[in-house]
Amino acid sequence: MSLNVIETSGLTKVYSSSFGKRTVEALTELNLHVSDGMIFGLLGPNGAGKTTLIKLLLGITFPTRGSAKILGEDINKYGFKNKIGYLPENHKYPPYLTGGNVLQFFGKLSGMEGAELDKKIDEMLQLVQLSKWKKTKVKNYSKGMMQRLGLAQAMMNNPELIFLDEPTDGVDPIGRKEIRDILIELKNQGKTIFLNSHLLSEVELITDRVGILNKGKLLREGTVKELTEKKEEYKVAIEGDSIYSLPQEFIQKINLQKMENDYYSFKVDSTQELNNTLDVLRNNGIIIKEIVQQKNTLEEMFISLIKEAEKEKVQ
Amino acid sequence: MKNIWIVTWFTLKEAMARKVFIFFFILSLLAIIITGLIFLLSSSVDINAFGMKNMPYDNPVTMIEMMIISPLTSLCLLLAIFSTASFVPIMLEKGNIDLLLSKPVSRDQLLWGKFFGGILVVLLNIAFLVIGVWLIISIKFSSWNFAFLNIIITVVFTFAVLYSLMILFGVLTKSSTPGMMVTYFVFIILSPLLFAAKDKFYGMIASSLVKTIIDIFYYIIPKTSELLGTITNDLVSGKSIENYQPILTSLAFLILTMGISISVFRKKDF
Repeated sequence: MSLNVIETSGLTKVYSSSFGKRTVEALTELNLHVSDGMIFGLLGPNGAGKTTLIKLLLGITFPTRGSAKILGEDINKYGFKNKIGYLPENHKYPPYLTGGNVLQFFGKLSGMEGAELDKKIDEMLQLVQLSKWKKTKVKNYSKGMMQRLGLAQAMMNNPELIFLDEPTDGVDPIGRKEIRDILIELKNQGKTIFLNSHLLSEVELITDRVGILNKGKLLREGTVKELTEKKEEYKVAIEGDSIYSLPQEFIQKINLQKMENDYYSFKVDSTQELNNTLDVLRNNGIIIKEIVQQKNTLEEMFISLIKEAEKEKVQ
Repeated sequence: MKNIWIVTWFTLKEAMARKVFIFFFILSLLAIIITGLIFLLSSSVDINAFGMKNMPYDNPVTMIEMMIISPLTSLCLLLAIFSTASFVPIMLEKGNIDLLLSKPVSRDQLLWGKFFGGILVVLLNIAFLVIGVWLIISIKFSSWNFAFLNIIITVVFTFAVLYSLMILFGVLTKSSTPGMMVTYFVFIILSPLLFAAKDKFYGMIASSLVKTIIDIFYYIIPKTSELLGTITNDLVSGKSIENYQPILTSLAFLILTMGISISVFRKKDF
């Protein structure tokens, strides 16, 4: 049975300027549940409240209203933090520390020590391919190296839940692929990963569930498949040019349009109508080779959802 | 406790890496070398040449030690304020504090770790300087005044009180400059001025309102002048402390400022 590792209930954060003259609602009445062992991707434009949500969950910022639990514990406590890892966006390590020192410091703060700590440092540096940079000060690291070190730091204490805020930011395509592979491996080990990212194509590749946040509100949540399916739109492949024998009225009704080669697209309102359409096609002697439900990319879905939300707001 | 120690230790490492500790150490070493050259290499030193008139010490060796160490400790405190002012603001920088708060460490522990880290930096340097000077003078005159080492306690305590003020401003403003300015003002101007007003001019003031204002400020503001003056003189001379009020009110100031700092830090959004 899967457990909720993250549960929020009416979580709200309002930022006030000095003297409370101006307020910004960064997160509004958020109810979110993330089950264990999955990669959950949180998407949203800049200022959507993604980082605020992570900060609230980790006790870096305090909620104005509502509550949340991490691994079954209230977020106001800090004991659960030895079971979590976190890679913040634009993380900063003391420049005077070496890569090894960084892992030593945060490992110690997570309760590790002695031979176990030393072994884990070497293991993690090897995993993110920074072993030969262990004794180099982090001020000499590139952006990509800093991200990989950050990932190692987040995994130091063998966490059950890992929060990653833009983990592939500044990383080259090969490095991104390596990070994706690490995340999939972590998921295979049963860990839960909460991922904030702008790179929708990447999120699409690795996440099990996705939430879309805009202006502090959760617009949609579901699996990538659920979110990208175009329920009413199908692509059909037929043999020959027999499609032109169909009545013009019918072609207009289902908005039948030629795509590429033998493929045509059409729209229906329901499953019943889909079946009726297929009957009409077959009754007119059309040989159907393939029928596929049309899909959006995550990016297309994301953009249309955000635009819709903007429109609703204007109205 | 373990978490406080980890943060303390890494604060010391931060000081060393930022050359603060090394610079401090080099200055202290230079002072010890100069003292050594003067006293150990000279064939004879006439104690009476230093003059004992108006000095609060019975032992002329203590007087020589104090003549050397007093300006040095004041200089050390000025440097210590400068070099430790950024410890808390750097910790609170975006990207750094997020990571620290995501670990199983309480906010109180982080702040106490920074507090003890700053104190450890100053303690090690002051102890090195004082023990170095004390060894040279003691060897030269074959007079071992262990009470002289109490100056380490008074200087470190004075620093701790001033550092708590810097921590408060660090937490409030996330910047090192305001804290440093206020601390220098208290240490160099306000504390000596209030001490002089209370000790020398109090009797000459006619207005009871002015007297009350002076009293309020005098008891609130840490008494660095007295801590480094009369209290230190009493301790290094091996005498018992005549008046504990400067220690107690300064300690109360430290507790209050740290209490406010922790209270603000506990509720602060990052």
